[in-house]
Amino acid sequence: MHAFADALVGARRQVGQCSRCFHLSAEPLCEICRNEERRNGQLCVVADSRDLLALERTREYRGGYHVLGGLISPMDGIGPELLQIQPLVHRVDQEAMGEVILALPPSVEGDTTSLYLARLLRPFCLVSRIAYGLPVGSELEYADEVTLARALEGRRRME
Amino acid sequence: MIGANGEGKSNLLEAVELLGSLRSHRSGHDRDMVRHGQSRALVRGWCGDGQGHGLGAPGSSLDQLELELRRQGGRLARRNGKALDRQLDLVGPLRCVGFSALDLELVRGEPSQRRQWLDRVVLQLEPVYAELLARYGRLLRQRSQLLRRGVSQGEQQLQSLLDAFDQQMALIGTRLHRRRRRALVRLQPLAAAWQERLSGGRERLELRYQAGSRLEGEEAEAPWREALLEQLRRQRPQERRLGACQVGPHRDEVAMLLGEEPARRFGSAGQQRTLVLALKLAELELVQQLWGEPPLLLLDDVLAELDPRRQELLLEMVGTGHQCLVSATHLASFSATWQGGDSQVVRISRGELVDSPTNR
Ligand SMILES: [Zn+2]
Repeated sequence: MHAFADALVGARRQVGQCSRCFHLSAEPLCEICRNEERRNGQLCVVADSRDLLALERTREYRGGYHVLGGLISPMDGIGPELLQIQPLVHRVDQEAMGEVILALPPSVEGDTTSLYLARLLRPFCLVSRIAYGLPVGSELEYADEVTLARALEGRRRME
Repeated sequence: MIGANGEGKSNLLEAVELLGSLRSHRSGHDRDMVRHGQSRALVRGWCGDGQGHGLGAPGSSLDQLELELRRQGGRLARRNGKALDRQLDLVGPLRCVGFSALDLELVRGEPSQRRQWLDRVVLQLEPVYAELLARYGRLLRQRSQLLRRGVSQGEQQLQSLLDAFDQQMALIGTRLHRRRRRALVRLQPLAAAWQERLSGGRERLELRYQAGSRLEGEEAEAPWREALLEQLRRQRPQERRLGACQVGPHRDEVAMLLGEEPARRFGSAGQQRTLVLALKLAELELVQQLWGEPPLLLLDDVLAELDPRRQELLLEMVGTGHQCLVSATHLASFSATWQGGDSQVVRISRGELVDSPTNR
């Protein structure tokens, strides 16, 4: 599975991204975005396509996604403008979302990005955050399906 | 362990310290602990409870501990050959308290040295504290980079990002404050008793926790967090002018008072040295109280710095219960008592034990 994800990520430049959610896709719209049933008012925000694939493996989540393309990290020169945050705000505003679920890693950078996004998105809809039974410093990509499914289930509203 | 400077004595003690506490008193960066030109370093040790298990013959009764360091960062811990999920899980079988020549600066040095001393004690009480410390350090670095580099989309974006950092720093900062204060409360009576004893009943020591934030009242988490959040917000203009965050545990200080006077400014060199010894003995005693058994004591190049009377007092405390690893350049710097009993002297040259001149 990891090799597959690596291959996908490596292929990014050739095949490009989905124009709506920024997941890797050969088509202008990815498979998930083309699926009408998955436009159910829920949007799950992830740092990158690997995390999206990890969440898909749980088979628990049936809504849409938005891939940020990284996390806010001033040390690495990554500010909000380098991530797909403007398109996210635009989508949440236009697509009448009921809930945005932030599924970012529990690191300093993940938390900073979550707090920043929650503030931006709260005027538009409910914002929640997946609950971590994961130890601090762990990564979504390496979490097993059961742990991730539970984290999704036990998400908390961000105040 | 006897050897000239640079032959590897401190290295050996550092290795033991790493296995016992995951930290080195000599460096905060793994890259400094990896040999030049190499990508990784490996520390491997065997430890047991000393209850009749044959040392030097690694058998089933001894735990094998391994810590692998990488120049790029990222560590791997193994116990008995099995990789551990978290390096923290390595801590436990081997408790150690270190005392090095660097500690002699504890009283008159920078506040950061006193914070590090207190942090080492908290780490013994609560190993998970390492994660809080690391997280707080990263928050500080990210925050200062944010202020240095600025943002592309104006003042409002900058303030929003600072808000995101404030929330995390208030949470983690409060936890650091509480743990440090609690540890100091436990150390205070022990250190005062040692100071009294070492000074022949003449000196009264008081340790006072001076938080780097204004925290009123009892140490309840929520009010402290709110207070810190508010102070972080208010100091922003100042922070931007000075280029550094002005409140929080990174500005904590431990005030050490001898009879109401700050020992740092008013204590004589001798008093300061006695005080360092009292602090280390208090630390040793607390760790021992906590774990019910004596920790390993690591004395790196420090014994020779203590006069014979203080060496004797240290030995008295250490007694026969503690295993003690001592490094020095010359055997002559030990008082006779230290060389007696069941002590073993080994010579270290170019990172290897070359011979054992005296085995008693
Ligand atoms: Zn898509």
